[in-house]
Amino acid sequence: MYWTVLLAEAEGGLFDFDATLPLMAVQFLILVAILNATFYKPIGKAIDERDDYVRGNETAARDRLAEVKQATEQYEKELAETRKQAQAIVAEARDAASKIAARDLSEAQAEAIRKREAAAAEIEQQKQVAFESLRGQVDALSRQMLEKLLGSELASR
Amino acid sequence: MSNLFNNLNAVTLASLEVGQHWYWEIGGLKLHGQVFLTSWFVIAVLVVASVLATQSIQRVPSGLQNFMEFGLEFIRDLAKTQIGEKEYRPWVPFVGTLFLFIFVSNWSGALVPWKLFEIPAGELAAPTNDINTTVALSLLTSLAYFYAGISKKGLGYFARYVEPTPVLLPINILEDFTKPLSLSFRLFGNILADELVVAVLVFLVPLIVPLPVMVLGLFTSAIQALIFATLAAAYIGEALEDHH
Repeated sequence: MYWTVLLAEAEGGLFDFDATLPLMAVQFLILVAILNATFYKPIGKAIDERDDYVRGNETAARDRLAEVKQATEQYEKELAETRKQAQAIVAEARDAASKIAARDLSEAQAEAIRKREAAAAEIEQQKQVAFESLRGQVDALSRQMLEKLLGSELASR
Repeated sequence: MSNLFNNLNAVTLASLEVGQHWYWEIGGLKLHGQVFLTSWFVIAVLVVASVLATQSIQRVPSGLQNFMEFGLEFIRDLAKTQIGEKEYRPWVPFVGTLFLFIFVSNWSGALVPWKLFEIPAGELAAPTNDINTTVALSLLTSLAYFYAGISKKGLGYFARYVEPTPVLLPINILEDFTKPLSLSFRLFGNILADELVVAVLVFLVPLIVPLPVMVLGLFTSAIQALIFATLAAAYIGEALEDHH
C-alpha cells in the first residue's frame, strides 16, 4: 500500500496523469488574469507613479537649486560691487576730510602767527609807552633824590 | 525496503500515503481532488492578499501594500534580469504568478498542517506535490516562450534551431522537450522528497529532530519557486533575444 505505489499501478501512483493537468493549467491562466487585474496592474501603477513623482520632484528641486545658486552668485557679485563703491566713497570722504583738515590747520596756523605778531607789536608799543613814562618818572625821582641829598637850594642850581 | 517501512508503520501512529488520490469524476474526467482543494486555498490566499493590498493605494505605502510592492519589485527585477529591460513588462504577470503560485504552494505544504484534515482518500499536500500541477506549469512555460518568440519574429523564430550550425538541429529540438521535463520534475521531485523526508523523520523521531529538516524544507521550497520562475523567464528571454 505504501511504497509499491511509487510506480503507477492500475489506479493512482505518483505519475498519474489525468484531467488534473489541463484543468490546472486553465486554472493557473485564470489566476494570472485575476492577479494581473488585482495585483500587477494597480501595484505596478502605484510604483511607476511614485517613481514619476519622485523623479519630477527631484528635477524641480534641482531646477530650484540651480536658480538659488544663480541668485546667490548675482547677489555676491552685487555685494562685491557695492563693497567696492563703499570703499571708494570712504576713500573719497577721507581725502576730502584730510584736505579740509589741512586747510583748516594752515589757516589756524596763519591766524595764530598773525595774532602772535599783533600781540608782539602791541607789547612792543606798550613797552615803548612804559619806557617813555618811566623815563619821565626817572627824571622826577632822581630830582627828588637829589633834593633830599643836597637840599633844595643846591639842587635847583 | 517496503518491508522495513511496513514494520515501522506498525509501531507508529500516523501512516504515510504516497500516490493515493482522491478522485473526482466530472463529465467522465478524472481529477485529483486533493490537489484542487489546496490549489484553491493557494489561489484564495494570493487573491485575497492582492485585493487587500490594493484596496486603498497610497503614495507612501504601508503595511500590506508595502509588502506586496516589495514582492512585485522582486518579481520585476527577476523578469528584468532574465528578459531584458525592453521587453520584460508584458511577461511580469506570467513569471510573477509562476513564482507566487509555486512559492505559496510550497510554503503552504510546509507550514499548513494539511494532514490534519481528513479526506476520503489520499491526503492534502502542496499542489506542487502532484506531477500534474508541475507539468501543467512547465507546459505553460513552453507555450509562453514559443508564443514570445513567434509573436516577435514570426516564423523567423525557428531559425534558431539551426544556429549556430545546422548540425545542432537535433539537440536544439531536443531542448524543447528537456526544458519542460526538467522544470516539472525538478519542482515535483524537490517538493515530494521534502515532504517524504519530513514525514519519514516524523515517523522515526517525532520530536525536535524533524525541525531542522522542516526549516531546510522551507528554504528549498522558496529556492525551487525562485528557480522555476527564473528559468521560465530565462527561456522567454532566450526566445525573445535577437540573433546576430
